[in-house]
Amino acid sequence: MKKIINVTINNKPCELAVESNQTLADLLRYDFGLTGTKKGCDTGDCGACTVILDGDTVNSCLVLAVQADGSMVETIEGLSNEDGLHPLQKAFVEKGAIQCGFCSPGMIMSAKNLLDKNDNPSDWEIKEGISGNLCRCTGYQKIFEAISSQCSKPNSDINPNINQGGPHGKI
Amino acid sequence: MLLPKFEFHEPASIQEAIELKKKYRTDARLLAGGTDLLVHLKKKLITTDHVISLLRIKDLGQIKNNKESVEIGACVTMARLSESKVIQENFCAIKAGADNLGTHLIRNRATLGGNVCNASPAADTICSLIVYQAHALLESTDGKRELPIESFFMSPGKTDIRDNEILTGFKLSIPGKNCGAHYIQLGKRKSSEINIVNVASFIQFDPSDQTIMNSRIALGSVAATPIRSFHAEKILQNKKASESLFYEAGEAARHKDCKPIDDFRGTADYRKAMIGVLTKRTLDAAFKQVQAQ
Repeated sequence: MKKIINVTINNKPCELAVESNQTLADLLRYDFGLTGTKKGCDTGDCGACTVILDGDTVNSCLVLAVQADGSMVETIEGLSNEDGLHPLQKAFVEKGAIQCGFCSPGMIMSAKNLLDKNDNPSDWEIKEGISGNLCRCTGYQKIFEAISSQCSKPNSDINPNINQGGPHGKI
Repeated sequence: MLLPKFEFHEPASIQEAIELKKKYRTDARLLAGGTDLLVHLKKKLITTDHVISLLRIKDLGQIKNNKESVEIGACVTMARLSESKVIQENFCAIKAGADNLGTHLIRNRATLGGNVCNASPAADTICSLIVYQAHALLESTDGKRELPIESFFMSPGKTDIRDNEILTGFKLSIPGKNCGAHYIQLGKRKSSEINIVNVASFIQFDPSDQTIMNSRIALGSVAATPIRSFHAEKILQNKKASESLFYEAGEAARHKDCKPIDDFRGTADYRKAMIGVLTKRTLDAAFKQVQAQ
């Protein structure tokens, strides 16, 4: 049975009917043609489908379209404007943080949300912030450098020690 | 992966939700964060005709501070738990679990009620809830029920919830002064991992002579449900805190209280050895908290 929902996608309000078993990822890709949101694992492991839902990053493959009723959704397509790419997108290009590109939209949405909430994250916070996004071309270091370059006080001395510990409950 | 078809219900109040649950009973599944339910439905591990989403019920998404106790709604997400001041100040072992569950994307959706109802022996929040002696709040059309969290779990994936009941939240007494607690999980990597073992410890000191008045230790991933380590607790009772005492408690937990299995995540012997280490470390951390007060 279809249900009518109202959802704002990249600042454009829309009203449409969705099936109860349709995910937000499918809604974006198939109903709106926003194929920048990728489907990798479809089970919340890879983060390729990351979008920002009401200010928080989510795996859009694990959100039902009906649950987005009344919500604001931001996808990778909403980042650029008439002046060109978002600074974070530019940084990814400049730092070579893109290889095959499949993880990039999710990676950039996670990074954007991280920087929206905290414009000067520590090295650890950057790594933690993209820990839900897998890159199978193994380009994490350049992705890290691209995000780091967009901090309000970029850290020139980038610490490559990926194993530095977190603050709580880890050994 | 396609989700199977189901009828979707979105009640706006607990009353509406329990009436739906009474009507459909086992034909309905409750949806909170969806980070487990939707995966299981996609993989066809479970089927259901009705999905009842609890996310629109405002009461279930709140953390209420009643001064002496705290009520955490079943639909409070891990991210909200981590940010909550009352949780940070009084229940740091719960925060440590919430900080580490899955990835930040999962933590923005996954709920405390969902983590508990999945009843995984490796769950990241259950050991901490046990050491804080949380009570699960259940509600049905027959009325309300409160269950100590320790007796809530039957076996992996099975809890003591009745077919017509909904878990609405948890009630926890705020620990007084001279109490400390900590939780540590061990996985092969830091993110998106299912624990090899996990331990939560809680200790309460007598302020007059610094002996341990009370302690509770909970072990995860070493039995069919998270379990208490009574032998380790007995060793701590009425003793002065010291590193060697905590080591002794860890060894008791390792040899007397846990019954792990071998699987692809780790061998039983490795799990036992790590229970010893983590028990000691969580006790150390809990003791340091008390000293810093």
